[in-house]
Amino acid sequence: MAERRTRPIRVAATVGRYVVLGLGAVAMVGPFAWMVATSLTSDAQLAQVDAPLMPDPITVDPYQRLNDAFPFWRFAANSLGVAAISTLVQLATSATAAYAFSRLRFPGSNALFVLYLATMMIPMQVIIVPLFIEMRYLGLVDTYLGLLLPTLVSSFGVFMLRQAFLALPKELDEAAYIDGAGHFRVFAQVLLPLVAPALATFAVFAFMSSWNAFLWPLVITQTEAHMTLPVGLSLLQGRYSTDWNVVMAGSTISVIPVLALYVFAQRYVVRGVTFTGIKS
Amino acid sequence: MTIRRRRLAASAMAMAATTLLAACGAEPSSDDTATGTITYFTFSAAPDHLADLDAIKAEFERQNPGITVEVQTASYNDYFTKLQTAIAGGNAPDTFELNYENFVTYARSGALLPLNDLAQADSDYDPDRVYPRALEAFTLDGQLYAMPSTFSTVVLFYNKALFDAAGLEYPSPDWTWEDEWEAAQRLTDRANGIYGDFQPVTFHEFYKVLAQNGGSFLSADGKRATFNDAKGVEAAEWLLRKPGAVQPTLAEIGGTADYDTALFKSGKLAMWHNGIWQIAGLAATEGLDFDIVTEPGKTTKANAVFMNATAVSAQTRKATAAWKWVRFLSTSAKTVETRLASNWELPAVNDPAAFETYLKQSPPANRQAVFDALEHIALPPVIDEQQSKMQDIVTQALQKAATGEVSIQEALDEAADEVNALLS
Repeated sequence: MAERRTRPIRVAATVGRYVVLGLGAVAMVGPFAWMVATSLTSDAQLAQVDAPLMPDPITVDPYQRLNDAFPFWRFAANSLGVAAISTLVQLATSATAAYAFSRLRFPGSNALFVLYLATMMIPMQVIIVPLFIEMRYLGLVDTYLGLLLPTLVSSFGVFMLRQAFLALPKELDEAAYIDGAGHFRVFAQVLLPLVAPALATFAVFAFMSSWNAFLWPLVITQTEAHMTLPVGLSLLQGRYSTDWNVVMAGSTISVIPVLALYVFAQRYVVRGVTFTGIKS
Repeated sequence: MTIRRRRLAASAMAMAATTLLAACGAEPSSDDTATGTITYFTFSAAPDHLADLDAIKAEFERQNPGITVEVQTASYNDYFTKLQTAIAGGNAPDTFELNYENFVTYARSGALLPLNDLAQADSDYDPDRVYPRALEAFTLDGQLYAMPSTFSTVVLFYNKALFDAAGLEYPSPDWTWEDEWEAAQRLTDRANGIYGDFQPVTFHEFYKVLAQNGGSFLSADGKRATFNDAKGVEAAEWLLRKPGAVQPTLAEIGGTADYDTALFKSGKLAMWHNGIWQIAGLAATEGLDFDIVTEPGKTTKANAVFMNATAVSAQTRKATAAWKWVRFLSTSAKTVETRLASNWELPAVNDPAAFETYLKQSPPANRQAVFDALEHIALPPVIDEQQSKMQDIVTQALQKAATGEVSIQEALDEAADEVNALLS
């Protein structure tokens, strides 16, 4: 079959593939490259109409000005802490809930799952005022707990992990029960390691979503001690003009943790795929 | 299993109990309204003037021991989201900044504390110190609801070098639209990327040029939109004839932020309708020789003025302390000095002596235009609620007319219908 296609066509097809993929790569990486380039531009060149793509001269002044505008490292630490705790707790609550929804039989489990899934459709903007009032009654306005509380559970996580659990055969559970394991041991030691790729993927999603969250941290925090990085970056926008090079410098730094997490999590996703291949 | 269930139930009840207790104990009692900590929420301080605000705050706290001011900031784009949520959630800041457009909505909704009584009880307060037009603007039904703190006017910036090169006379206060149009055409040189004029096609420019043509946005009783009459069509036509001819079109700008600022700073724009807040940035640009003049009108002159004020929340428990801060922020000598020194908008005070030093600074040489613009003011039309919706309706109608899809009259008629729907 392969011999029927003549050499020139095969070469053309390969070149075509590379061109398409190359264009796709440029489209994906382009905005990030521009972000980094803008973060290294001087103020004078920023104001020029036909500024070249590569700044000349390259200056790290915007990075140095970041801390003058707002306590950048404090905000970054807040963001990191909140995102880390939120991701870990979401993993724990979603995995246990997914186990319950996939493995346990209890009356109304289907209806409850559908109802919980339906809450995914409610946008944050709709519930923001009632949520704020609730936090105020709890005395949690402008506190870390108030910032974290609404982010500790994720219906998307429950859905995704339930799908992963459903793919695992019940025989694994039964084998473990025979060996004398209870629910928790089956969950933690038998099933959880097998859904590692799903956990890794969800961890990346959860971290990204918490890291980039803007509306809730904006509304719930009042003093600079508790603010997160997206809120801080928004403070860089003046009413009539904005120092875009400083904003881009802040954005460049804020991309790094998410990138690092993805690189770290990617290994588990790949490892999981390899394992399932061998298993079946 | 049953033991576990009992333990779970017990901890759930404990949690419920603690939340109830927390709610009960959350209201601190305080009957002293003249001292303590008050919060101040602002959009004009971040990101460039935090140090200036700190200086004003330090002086206030020095003169009023016992009162501490806690500053909270947000960028202008997010400010009102945060403020509205805080007010709706019962956690409003004691004092906060408002601009004129949003002031009316907040005042009518009962979120602001009426200030007449506090003002009269305060022997240090002299109403003549405040710029009278500003006081009027922030008074509703005879009650003062916010203390005017700053104002900025919109003027015509022009590039002297480009005018010299074309051999044209600089714009004068007597100019009309036709003079501006002629000069803009002579100055435009698209081959070299030079444009003659820049006036954005938006709601904020439209109501002003409408006033310059003697028209009015709403009827006298404020119940009907009247901007789609003949005068409105002429005003819209004035705005719409520029892009493409003497001004870059929206497509050419391509969504670039601050495109017009970059154009003027690069010396590629001859005339620019913008506010005096640009002066600091332009004065710092090397090689830019510019000056300002009041905007040309058609049948009359009319200028846009942006006014900010500080309001006291109706929910505050520190009314007297809040009033003292609000008064200090608007009228004290320290505030006036700090604002003028750092180009942080203009204090809304009635004090020609204080402005002497401001007028002497150069560039631009004709700083007097900033104050001349106050003689003919076009206040923005304000409707209860839905203010931003109305602004969007008008801006979109103008942009639709710009594409040529509909005629200007049709676009304005459609917009007027939508605004009338909002008003009813």
